[in-house]
Amino acid sequence: MTVPAPLNIDQVYHRCPPEKLDFETTETLEDLELPCGQERLLRALEFGASMEGRGFNLFVLGPSGAGKHELVERFLGRHAGEKEVPPDWCHVYNFKNADRPKALRFPAGQGREFRKDMNDFTDELRTAIPATFESEEYQSRIQELQEEMAKRQHQGLFDIQEEASRNNIAMITTPAGFTFAPMRDGEVIDPEEYKKFSDEEKQLIESKVEELQKKLQQTIQQIPRLRKEVRERVHALNEEMVQITLGGPMGELREKWSHLPDVVAHLDAVREDVVEHAEAFQDGESGPPAGLLVRYKVNLLVDNAETKGAPVIYEDLPNHQHLSGQIEHRARQGTLYTDFTLIKGGAMHRASGGYLIIDARRILTQPMAWESLKRILFSGEIRIESLERLYGLVSTTSLQPEPIPVSVKVVILGDRMLYYLLSHYDPDFLDLFKVEADFEDDLDRDDGCYELYARMIATMARGLEAQPLTRDGVARLIEHASRLASDQRKLTAHDRVLRDLMSEADHWAKQAGAELITADHIQQAIDEREYRASRVRERSMEQITRGIVKIATEGEEVGQVNGLSVLRLGASMFGQPARITATARPGKGQVVDIEREAKLGGPIHSKAVMILSRFLASRYAGDGELSLSASLAFEQSYGGVEGDSASVAETCVLLSAIAGVPLKQTFAVTGSMNQHGEVQAVGGVNEKIEGFFNVCRDSGSLGSQGVLLPESNVEHLMLRKEVRDAMGEGSFRIYPISDINEAIELLTGMEAGVADENGDYPEGSFNRKVQDRLSAFAEVGKKRDEDKDNGNGEGGKNDDD
Amino acid sequence: MTTTDQPEPVPVESGPGRVLVLLDGSRLSLAALEAAADIAALRGHDILGVFVEEVNLLRSSGFEFAREIGASSGAARPLDSAMLEMRMRALAEQARRSLQRAVASRGLRQALKLCRGSVIQEVLSLAGPDDLVVMGRAGWSAAPGSRLGSTARGLIRQAPGDVLLWAEIQRRPGYGIIVLLNDDQGANHRALAVGIEQARRHHQPLTVLIRSHGEGGQEVVRAIEEQLIARGAGARVKLIPRASAAEVARILRREAPAELVVSRQCSVFDEQGAEQLLVELNLPVTVTP
Repeated sequence: MTVPAPLNIDQVYHRCPPEKLDFETTETLEDLELPCGQERLLRALEFGASMEGRGFNLFVLGPSGAGKHELVERFLGRHAGEKEVPPDWCHVYNFKNADRPKALRFPAGQGREFRKDMNDFTDELRTAIPATFESEEYQSRIQELQEEMAKRQHQGLFDIQEEASRNNIAMITTPAGFTFAPMRDGEVIDPEEYKKFSDEEKQLIESKVEELQKKLQQTIQQIPRLRKEVRERVHALNEEMVQITLGGPMGELREKWSHLPDVVAHLDAVREDVVEHAEAFQDGESGPPAGLLVRYKVNLLVDNAETKGAPVIYEDLPNHQHLSGQIEHRARQGTLYTDFTLIKGGAMHRASGGYLIIDARRILTQPMAWESLKRILFSGEIRIESLERLYGLVSTTSLQPEPIPVSVKVVILGDRMLYYLLSHYDPDFLDLFKVEADFEDDLDRDDGCYELYARMIATMARGLEAQPLTRDGVARLIEHASRLASDQRKLTAHDRVLRDLMSEADHWAKQAGAELITADHIQQAIDEREYRASRVRERSMEQITRGIVKIATEGEEVGQVNGLSVLRLGASMFGQPARITATARPGKGQVVDIEREAKLGGPIHSKAVMILSRFLASRYAGDGELSLSASLAFEQSYGGVEGDSASVAETCVLLSAIAGVPLKQTFAVTGSMNQHGEVQAVGGVNEKIEGFFNVCRDSGSLGSQGVLLPESNVEHLMLRKEVRDAMGEGSFRIYPISDINEAIELLTGMEAGVADENGDYPEGSFNRKVQDRLSAFAEVGKKRDEDKDNGNGEGGKNDDD
Repeated sequence: MTTTDQPEPVPVESGPGRVLVLLDGSRLSLAALEAAADIAALRGHDILGVFVEEVNLLRSSGFEFAREIGASSGAARPLDSAMLEMRMRALAEQARRSLQRAVASRGLRQALKLCRGSVIQEVLSLAGPDDLVVMGRAGWSAAPGSRLGSTARGLIRQAPGDVLLWAEIQRRPGYGIIVLLNDDQGANHRALAVGIEQARRHHQPLTVLIRSHGEGGQEVVRAIEEQLIARGAGARVKLIPRASAAEVARILRREAPAELVVSRQCSVFDEQGAEQLLVELNLPVTVTP
């Protein structure tokens, strides 16, 4: 097998070809309205925004900082402009059931007009009706009525009195009523004298008195009925006067709003109510009670008078009240009071007929907000209910406004994890959010993308009010975008990182007094960012250079190799070499993963070690038994190990330990391996290589060092200039490997050897050494077993098992 | 029978001028007492409360068949003398307390005269030409609606001095004092004097309405104006036609005064239904001899 050639500097860095950027500065570039490379997302948005069916709401999923919100708002803004303006909604008093305010729908802009009309009408009521009651006509009519009724009332008593007088009987007033007594010459007869009357006379008088008493009783008992009649007739008169007064203004209003039957019905109800409460308007000085007039007001809940197209609303605090509206209360002398004018609309009201954008994490953290949103979307109407009522904490009567029908397209922005969790755990979720708009993390870096990407950068720079970028500045940014994507054939779509970088570059450019952002400013921004995040990396590097953490970059060692690890801290990532060691001795075919035994290894790492041990058995033991007791450890690792990117290194170090062949310490190895010994791609290669490079540079041994990485990872390389320069000078090499044998040959300098049809490796090859050593282990094992069978139990004492 | 409740020496006989107030325990009589106390305080006169136990009433309770028909309920219940006497005593006691309360804050001298007999006769025997008689325009019977009691009717025709018939203040109180006169009567003087005094007391404008046949009306107006000037008072003087009592009532209603002053000799009293005028105008009226 031939050893692979080291990579050249063009292979480890994908330059941005200058000829693809046909401009001097970004100032000349046109704005890019929609981002490039997000076709899937845009098609989903386009579909979701125009799809009419129920439940076709959108969930835009993508990492935070990807610019989801801005993009969605921009897209929907364009889309909404072509749609028609949704109607206005008002709440008005419900005269039939005061607890359930009615909802009225108006064409956009007319709600405001109706509110004004009703305010004017109320003002008119305040003056016109008292004036009617003050009028001469009303006063004399009411006087006539009262006189007539009083006359009827008195007449009854007067008639009885007259009748009594005619019969010589006095009707006398007592403190509590009346009594009858016989009289003579205008004076009541003395009872003593009366006793002297003949029985006949007495009987005559007494029967007359009794008759009069009965008549009087009847007359008095009729008085309440008479009074009621007066009240009714006065009320009828009041109604008549108010009807006449209202006729003019109400007629005009009815005519004006005749195109809206519900409004006309409300106006009729108002008129009836005013007539019914005519007496309340009688007092011209203090005016009708405010509580009465407030009932004729209009609470304009949704005012679309100034809306252009369909509304696009972003609710940044999507709690229950802000979404579905609330009923506010006013404190009056220590008690809370509400009426329909205190109903406040929510974001759902405002967004009806348009789009509502909500942040998934925020709505999910607000109590009941998610449930309320789903309830509204399911029912298609907004029912305002306070949170305390929903929780059943308050049972006092409150308003229950008539639900308002709503047709809103809800767009939720969130990260992918939330989307998948909601799909899994919320059975309603997929019914309501049928459109999945997935944000692309990376864009393809092909010949056509450069122009669009440059325009995107230009748009971003203008948005940030940054200086324009020069051509080389854009090129450097594009190259960095590839590095951020960790792929030569991709560019990051992560909006926030690019923006931040550009803002910082702009800052450095301005500080340097430059009018344009050049590649140097971009580089400075990258370096500064890296420096700011470098404290931990530098401390860790210092420990290596001081020999506290042992990493060898020269010489050869048996059972020891440089692995490569990546550490992620916040937003920054850096690579760091780690020493991996192995031991091997006869045993029962076991490879002990010390990390796992110490519970410092993750499941993927354990899996990789198991693959490794099966690889050993199948490759070197053939049909025989693998007699091996080996161990693997990451030295000076205290924080846990996860991932399979060290499997190649682990295989090599274990084989070195078995065969007793030393490995070159000038190399560091990364890559995962399958059971057949094929090397597979891993992540974080740029950081790993740079991490090892830094160690070599700082230890002053840069010259023959290098890194072995999977061949399939080559196109992920976007190494920094310092590394590339060293590669150019030949003091640092990177070898792409596709098979474990290549790694063995590079690390040992020996031929690995290929097995013949019997499974035997050529004499003098590395693999043969491994095979022989394992055979020797097997012999030892067999002898020990025989001793044990022969009753010599001592052999088992040293067994690792 | 006559008794006098006399904490301070108050002349029961007619003096230089007193205010007699008729008390019967009814709501209106208590309102009249307040008005009387105000007037007495202003004039510096003594106040004499008169509580008459109507002999007719006492007698009527002596019959075996006597029943009291409730003024509001219409229910009939037995009426006996003992109970009625007790009630009268309670009312008299209440009248005394009310009188004391009314004068206490005004620093007046007061006396309560309790007597038994006919109210009109008792008042006529007590009142002199300089005394003002103040009374509610109706007593207990006001409850079912009568607006001018028989006592009031009697006294305005017979009292030697002025009679103030107190009425409950209306829902919308009027404004101004009106004196209603005839163009041909000699008693105008007294009515005008009372009107001027009341206008001053209430700080309200005075209007003088003169019922005139047309000829000579202007002269009367002039004479009245001269009198007003002489007394240092200002007033609006208006001629009105000598129409029926009902017509006068309409005119007065339009003016909507707070109080009315009218002379007993005014020709309106000669007409049929003159008393109806007082019934219809539910406001305090002073009738001068």
